[in-house]
Formats: sequence, C-alpha cells, structure tokens
Amino acid sequence: MSGEEEENAAELKIGEEFLKAKCLMNCEVAIILEHKYEQIQQHASSESDPSSQVSQVFEKSLQYVKRFSRYKNPDAVRQVRETLSRYGLAEFELCTLGNLCPDTSGEATALVPSLKSGGRFVGDPGDEKIEKMLNDLSLIKKFE
Amino acid sequence: MVFLEAEMSWNVLISPSQLDRKGLLLRKAIIVRLLEDVTNRRASKEHGYYIAVNQLKAISEGKVRELTGDVLFPVSFTCITQKPMKGEVMVGHVDRILKHGVFLKSGPVESIFLAEKSMSNYKYIGGENAMFMNDHSKLEKDTAVRFKVLGFRWMEADRQFQLLATIAGDFLGPL
Repeated sequence: MSGEEEENAAELKIGEEFLKAKCLMNCEVAIILEHKYEQIQQHASSESDPSSQVSQVFEKSLQYVKRFSRYKNPDAVRQVRETLSRYGLAEFELCTLGNLCPDTSGEATALVPSLKSGGRFVGDPGDEKIEKMLNDLSLIKKFE
Repeated sequence: MVFLEAEMSWNVLISPSQLDRKGLLLRKAIIVRLLEDVTNRRASKEHGYYIAVNQLKAISEGKVRELTGDVLFPVSFTCITQKPMKGEVMVGHVDRILKHGVFLKSGPVESIFLAEKSMSNYKYIGGENAMFMNDHSKLEKDTAVRFKVLGFRWMEADRQFQLLATIAGDFLGPL
C-alpha cells in the first residue's frame, strides 16, 4: 500500500490544503452539521426537493462527530479553540488535541509528536506548559 | 480525525429548461445543483470526502455552451471535508473481526484495516462473537479504537480511501 510518502501528520509535514484551509475539531463540525441537519429537516417538511436529501458521507460524519465529540456546549467549543489558540499550535495540532483530549504531556506528545519540534515546548518547562494547556482544557470540560 | 473547511470553486451546469426562471429561482436552481454535484462526487483524491457545503460565497456570471445551450456558472463556496493523513491519530469503531485483522470505520472513512501483526500482543478468539484480546483489553464489534494511520490509497472505482492502521504505540488501542 502506497501512502503519500512526502506527507506525515506526526511530523507536521502536511499537505498544502491543510496549511491553507481552516482545520476543524469534531465538536465544531458537530455544531455545523447538526445545524445543517435541522435546516434540511425543516426544508424537507415543506417540499420534496433533492437538496433536502442527506448524503451518506454527511450522515456518517454526523454520527461520528456526535459519538466522539468531547464538548457538546457551543460556548465550551468556542472556549476550547480560544484556549488552545494561546499556545502557538498549528491548526492540525490544535484540532488533534481538541479531539483526543490527552490527560498528560506524555500522552499529548505521543499522539502529536510535532509538539516537541520547533522549540515551542522544550524540555521540562515545555512539559509543564503542555500540562498547563491540558489542565485548561479539562477545566472547560468540568464546567461545561 | 481532523476536518477542514476548504475553499472551493466549482462550475455548476444549468440546462436551458431551468433558465426560464428569474432572480431567486435561478439562484436556487444553481444552489440545488451545487448540492447535488457535491453529494454525487462524494470524494476526490485531492480533497478527501465532501461532507457538507458550508458557506456560499459567490455565483459569477454564467457562460453559455454553444452546442447545448447549457450555462456554466462558476460558484465559490466553502466545504467541510475530511482527508486522511499518514501519521494522523484517529478514533474509529470496530466493524468486522477476522482472524488476520480487524476492519474499522471512522466517520466517512469506511475501509480501515488493522492487521493482526500490528496489534502487538492481541490474540484472536473465534466463535459467534469473535474478538481480539490481550491481558488488559479486547476489541470486539463496535469497540472504539484510537489508531494511527500507517498509509492509505485512493480507490478511484469506489471513490473512497482505504486506510492501513496500527495500534502499536503508546496511548493507542481500545478506548
């Protein structure tokens, strides 16, 4: 099986489209898709229209983000992005952390190895900074 | 998985019979056709899966095709997409369990293979409710699994991606 060898998320060697586009967390996509689903349902009740059909890709994605989103409250979702945005993360890193919600800096760097490159979270002070970031995240969850 | 809000510019084709409509009706015809086109295309190697049109940005002036009388309208919009990435850590659920590995699904990605040999110390246990087990945990149908993408390929005929996954690594495996 051939992947795209020049790209590797673990090293933040990601495609041009990821650099240009805005990355979205599961919980952000959940809000967007649920809103669109409600619109579609309202539309479907008023007339039979091809645009009121839901595609399979849409349906699978909605089921997925509802099952695996950690944050349900729209205010909490905004706070997550706001909080993570303070730490100089790339979009892809921010979304991965927001989706997977690691408990420790060890877990965070195992899941997102690129955190340890580029000089943002170096050595023990870097680990403490990551722990602070994760603690901020867990507070949002606690008070959701 | 990480989703994207991608900027898109597609040409939407409107047939002459729909051109009798004016103003809002024409705009609606273009939007309906765009939504149909996105649904029908489903996915591409370049963008990944097309999940939902998010924002309609602009509908530019139409250009008539001389042979058919169809009109091509350039439409700018944003679309929620999902494209797999080698090295990405994703969460999925078990769909099928076979002796040589496990098939997972994760949102729009429906073909993810986790080979038995990349499951370190899990053992296959057959029977009506087959599963993989080790000393600490098990994978059975619908178990949520955190995995890393080893690689993927685009299947043009099915318009889908097939992913090869691994759970060999810290903090990976059943949740």
